[in-house]
Amino acid sequence: MESGSPVSKKSRLFHSEDCEMEEVPSNAAGVNPSLHWTQWQILDSILPTGGFAHSYGLEAAMQSRMVNNQEDLKSFVIQVLDNTGSLLLPFVYCASKSPDAAEWVKLDQLLEATLTNEVARKASTSQGSALLRVAASVFTEIQVLQDLRRAFLGSKSVSFHHAPIFGLICGLVGFDSETAERAYMFVTMRDVFSAATRLNLIGPLAASVLQHQVAPDAERMMQKWRDRDVSEASQTAPLLDALQGCHAYMFSRLFCS
Amino acid sequence: MAEAATGAVRVERVRGRSVLTRCFARYPLKLIAPSKVGPSSCNAVWLYALTYGGGIVSVSPEDLPPLSILSVLARCAVAGYSRLGVGEGCCSVTCSWCRARARPCRGTPYRARSASATGARRRSPRRPRPRYAGCLMKLDSALPAYTYTMAVLCGLVMLTRVCRMVYKAVGSKCSEQLLEARVGEDALLAVIPDPVTCFSTARYHQKQVFQVSANSNLVVVDWFTSGRYESGEKWDFSFYKSVNHIFLGDQPLFIDSTLLEQGSNYSIAERMHEYNVIAMIVLLGPKLRHIQDKMQDEVKKLMSGQLRPPTSGGSLYTMRSKPPQRPQRPPLVASCSPFGRTGTGMVARVAAVSTELAYSFLRHHLAALEMFLGASPYAAS
Repeated sequence: MESGSPVSKKSRLFHSEDCEMEEVPSNAAGVNPSLHWTQWQILDSILPTGGFAHSYGLEAAMQSRMVNNQEDLKSFVIQVLDNTGSLLLPFVYCASKSPDAAEWVKLDQLLEATLTNEVARKASTSQGSALLRVAASVFTEIQVLQDLRRAFLGSKSVSFHHAPIFGLICGLVGFDSETAERAYMFVTMRDVFSAATRLNLIGPLAASVLQHQVAPDAERMMQKWRDRDVSEASQTAPLLDALQGCHAYMFSRLFCS
Repeated sequence: MAEAATGAVRVERVRGRSVLTRCFARYPLKLIAPSKVGPSSCNAVWLYALTYGGGIVSVSPEDLPPLSILSVLARCAVAGYSRLGVGEGCCSVTCSWCRARARPCRGTPYRARSASATGARRRSPRRPRPRYAGCLMKLDSALPAYTYTMAVLCGLVMLTRVCRMVYKAVGSKCSEQLLEARVGEDALLAVIPDPVTCFSTARYHQKQVFQVSANSNLVVVDWFTSGRYESGEKWDFSFYKSVNHIFLGDQPLFIDSTLLEQGSNYSIAERMHEYNVIAMIVLLGPKLRHIQDKMQDEVKKLMSGQLRPPTSGGSLYTMRSKPPQRPQRPPLVASCSPFGRTGTGMVARVAAVSTELAYSFLRHHLAALEMFLGASPYAAS
């Protein structure tokens, strides 16, 4: 279902020879099947971007007894997705809309100022730089990624935050912005459930059941927050934000954030 | 929306003292600059911002009742230091209340009280008293240790007592408030308000923009409560948005925007659990370094004692065998994070079960500001 709509849109575009076709880079437009392979690879958990080192504040929420069982987990996941939607989707959207270096630098610097929580900020930069490294090695046909990496590696002016990098890569491989935004929500959700499983909060099967249950909510939130400008980015879970900041205070911990 | 400023303030260094060189306010805002907030050795200007009418409402100022009621809406503190000369190191603040951009209370929550409510009588809108809870504007302080500096401080405290006056609601637009401040080199600005309290169905939007220089010092406390939670009105407002931007030149240094809106999967009350207060404290600048460090250490100590892995409490099996009992959550959650490329700033986020807890947290951690301000923030409240 997730990959269904963009495909049909694409093929429609293709058949009608619509002039808006130009939005889709030529390397991906004609070959829908190859776009699928790319899409799935970007979403696949085997892509070594280090997302599983992060619990998105779940571990801190557990240690402060904010999340104790499956019902709490469901509410937590939905809040994290809501917050991701309102705070980070605008960055994914803007980066995927105009995937070029200048715009990306601007977004990255803005996100650096926007993520005021140090734990979340570090998680974002470590995932973002890992993703860029992986993408530059995997999608070798995209020259921009190599150039970007070469130009800014070691630079003090950019931090390689996750959301803009993700949007940028999605834009470069030819995703439309809606797919990019949905994919970002999916990746976030996947990582939280993975963390919940490893924190022994929920079993793997139950996690999959819950993931499927939450999917319609995630879709609703994606629709609610999609296609917004970065000036509208705001956080909607101040309590979880305060909690996530406590991550570094925990004596024993499994995750980086 | 709020193009025309309702108030404007400027504090400059004149012969070594912080002086309020401009102070303009227009109905419904009133600014008061008491001269005796701290000891005379202290070089800070305090400024209280009040509004007529007791709150932010949905009607425009022309429609407000006559000026019979004065209540304090805001407190703001701005401090500016300048190394040399007059005119540099000044702070200016403008604030505007977007004319009554709306307060929906459909079927005014207070109407009902005349009938039954016993305890409600005490809160009757009839004779509101001036409330000075939130207003304190302090202008500048020069530390004895820094003889060359001068500071202007002005604080703006905002309380939204929207529904108390039972104004008629107009449409469903938002009450808005905007504060813009420029903090000069070596200046200190402290904005130390009391919390915003949004009543049931209220819609509120505030925006604060600070322009700072490399050596500016800034204290911002931005906080809000769940409403009049002691009478059961918890997280019942419809919309709350608070935006705080700090720019260093044209570079964004701190971009914060908090949005709470009813209508998501979970209501605000469900999302907040038993917490009633959310606070943010920003400390920026070289003069506040020691306060930042101390706060970070203390918060770390405080919180690490509260956090521990659940002793298999999270697993399915214990859940099944024991009746689910709500484990105790910490009454106050706080965390500190540095921000800015060079780590000159620090932000603390706090969630607390009660306003008193949050007040005592602020009082304790900001007490060291007394050396700059001449009095410690939140001391008497």
